[in-house]
Amino acid sequence: MTTQPDSAATPKRFTIPIGPQHPALKEPGFFEFTVEGETVIGATLRLGYAHRGIEKAVVSRTWVQNLYLLERVCGICSHIHSLAYCLGVEKLAGVTPPPRAQAIRVLIAELERMHSHLLWLGVAAHDAGFETLFMYSWRDRETILDLFEQISGNRVNHSINTLGGVKFDLTAEQIVSVLKAVELMEERARYYLDLVRNDPMLGQRIRGIGTMSAAEAHRMGVVGPTARASGVGRDLRVEAPYAAYTAIPVVVMLETDGDLQARFIVRIREMFESCRIIRVLLDHLPEGDLQARMPRRIPEGETIARVEAPRGELFYFIKSNGADMPERIKLRTPTLCNLGSVLALCIGRQLADIPMLLIGTDPCFSCNDRAVVIHQAGNREKWTWEQFRRYGNEALR
Amino acid sequence: MNALGTLLLFPGGLALLLVALLAEWISRKLLARLQNRVGPRWFQPLADTVKLLAKEEVIPEGVHRVLFEFLPVLSLAAVLTAALAVPLFGVVPATSYAGDLIVTVYLLSLLTLCTSLAGLITDDRYAAMGGLRVLSQLFSYEAPFLLALLGPAVAAESWQITRITAHAGSNVWMLFTQPVGFVVAVIGLMGKLELSPFDAPEAHTEIVAGSLTEYSGRGLALFRLSRNVALVVGLTLVAALYLGGVSDPLAFAVKTLALLLVITTVQALFARLRIDQTIGLWWHYGVLLALGQWFLILIGKGAA
Repeated sequence: MTTQPDSAATPKRFTIPIGPQHPALKEPGFFEFTVEGETVIGATLRLGYAHRGIEKAVVSRTWVQNLYLLERVCGICSHIHSLAYCLGVEKLAGVTPPPRAQAIRVLIAELERMHSHLLWLGVAAHDAGFETLFMYSWRDRETILDLFEQISGNRVNHSINTLGGVKFDLTAEQIVSVLKAVELMEERARYYLDLVRNDPMLGQRIRGIGTMSAAEAHRMGVVGPTARASGVGRDLRVEAPYAAYTAIPVVVMLETDGDLQARFIVRIREMFESCRIIRVLLDHLPEGDLQARMPRRIPEGETIARVEAPRGELFYFIKSNGADMPERIKLRTPTLCNLGSVLALCIGRQLADIPMLLIGTDPCFSCNDRAVVIHQAGNREKWTWEQFRRYGNEALR
Repeated sequence: MNALGTLLLFPGGLALLLVALLAEWISRKLLARLQNRVGPRWFQPLADTVKLLAKEEVIPEGVHRVLFEFLPVLSLAAVLTAALAVPLFGVVPATSYAGDLIVTVYLLSLLTLCTSLAGLITDDRYAAMGGLRVLSQLFSYEAPFLLALLGPAVAAESWQITRITAHAGSNVWMLFTQPVGFVVAVIGLMGKLELSPFDAPEAHTEIVAGSLTEYSGRGLALFRLSRNVALVVGLTLVAALYLGGVSDPLAFAVKTLALLLVITTVQALFARLRIDQTIGLWWHYGVLLALGQWFLILIGKGAA
C-alpha cells in the first residue's frame, strides 16, 4: 500500500495500478491512477508492453511477405491493415485494382467494422458488469466470423487482399449468406440500440459520463467513433474515399452528447450504415477480374495511405527504394490518438468509471505499441522532439 | 447423539454444505443458460471446493497471519451457526429462543465483516478498495434488510423465527400483505451476498477480486463455501417469513428454489451499480420503502 505522507491537511491517497496485467485490460498497458477515496485525481500512462518490432520486421521482408505480416498487426481489424498497405503499394506502383476487387475489399471492411463494434460492445458491457449483454453481443459476432470463414477459410486473418486486388471471389451462395447475416445484424443492432438508449441500469453507468465536447475532441485529436460521438465528423470514408467508397457515399453517424452513451450509440448506428453499404455493394457488384497485374518491382518513391479502421483513422507511410523490400513503413493506429483523451477525461471521475472510460475509446494496445523504452540510468520517459525524430527516422536504418 | 446428528449431518452441517453447493450450481447453470452459455456440470462447485482445499494457500507478505487464516474459518462458523435457528428444509430448527431473528441476521453480517477485514488486513490496494466497498455496501443495505425482515416479526408480534413462521403458516402469505417488504428483503439479500448488480465490492474489471484478491487455496474455499451457505440461509429465511411458513417441507423446498431462480434471473438483467449508486439506491428508496411498510403495519396493528 503506497499511501502518501499522512498529515492532517492531506487526506489519504492511493495509487491504483491498472495494468500491465489487469482483468479490465485484455492487452497490456499500464495506467496508474491516484485516487482519493473513490475519486480519481491523477493519471499516468505507460505503453510499450506489446511492442513486437513489426516496423523493423517489415523492412527485411519482401513486399508480398509483408501482406501477411501487416495483417497481423491487429487481432481484430486485420483486413483494414492489409487494405491500407495494399492501397499504398498500389499507389506507388501506379496500379488500379479492378472494380470487383475494390467492392469486395469494402464489403469485407464493413463486415469487419461490424464485428469489431460488436466485440467492443461486449467488452464495454463486461466492464460495466453487464455479463448478459457481453455474451449476447459476442454470440452475434460469431455470425460474421462464420461468414469470413465461408468466404476465405479463415475467421480472423482472412487474407483477402493481395497486391493489385483480392484473392477470393464471392459465389452466389456466399452472397445469399452475407445478405442473411446482414439482416440478422440489423435486427440485433436495433435491439442493442434500444437497450443502450433505454436500459435504466446501464444508463446510470454511461449517461453523462466522460463527456467530451467537440472542441475538446478537436484539441485532443481523437479519431473514429470516439470523435464522432462528440460531434466531430471525422471519417476518411467521406473525407478521402478509397476503394469502392468513391462510388458509395457513406453517411457519417454523428452524436453530439459526447458521453459514453453517445460512444455506444455511434458504434451501433454505424452497424446500420455498414449493413446499408453492404446491401448497396451486393446490388451493384461489378463483374470482372479480381486482380490487376502488378509490376515486378515497386518503383522508388514514398506515399501515404489512410483508411478508416473500425477504431478510427489508420495511417500508413510507405517508402520504397526500388528494391524487393520496402525501405520504411511507418504506421499509426487510431488507439494512440485516442488514449490521451482517457487521461484527461478520468480526472474527477469515480474509480468505477475508469475501465468504462478507457474502453470507451476502444483501445487496442498491440496494434498501438510502436516503441519500447527500456529503463536505463538517467533515461527518463520524457523525450524531446529531436529524440523522437532520431528514433523514428534513423534508428531503423 | 441425536443433537450431534442435527449439528453435523442433517439439517445443519453436511447436508447444508451440500445444498449450498447445489444452490451455487443451480444459480450458475441458470445464469449461464440465460446468457446463452452452456454452464458448469452439476458437480463443478464441489470440484472447485475440493480443488481449492487441496491447493497451496499463499500467505502474502505484510499480512496479519493469524487474522488471515482465522477470518475464513470465522465466517464459515458464523453462517453455519446462523443456520441453526432457521427452518432449513422446512425442518424444525435446532435451536429457538426469543430474538433469534436478530442474532441470525447479525451472524450473517459477520460474514460480510470478515470479508471486508480480509481485504483490509492485506497490503494489496485492490483488496483494500474492495474491503472499503464491502463496508460501504454493508452500511447501505443492512438497515433496510433488517427492517424488511422485522415486518413479518411485527405482524407476528415475536422476534422468534419459529413463532413468525408459525404465524406466517396460518395466515395469508406475507408476500401479499407486505409486498414492499418482500422486494426489499430479496434485493437486500442480493446486496448482502454481493450478487450482480450489487457486485461492486468485487468488480473484477476495476479491483480484480475485491477484498479476496490475496486469498487462495483453503481460505478462498472457505469464503466461497460460507457465501453459498449464507445464500441458502438467507433464502430459507426470506422464504419462511414471506412465502407462507414451513408447514409442508416439499412445498417449502419448491418455494425456496423459486426464490433462488428469481434472484438468479435478476442477476442476468442488469449492469453493475457503482458503489455510490448502490448506497444512493438503498438510502433513497430502500430505507424509505421499508420504513413506510413498517409504519403501515404498525398502523394496521393499532387499528386491529
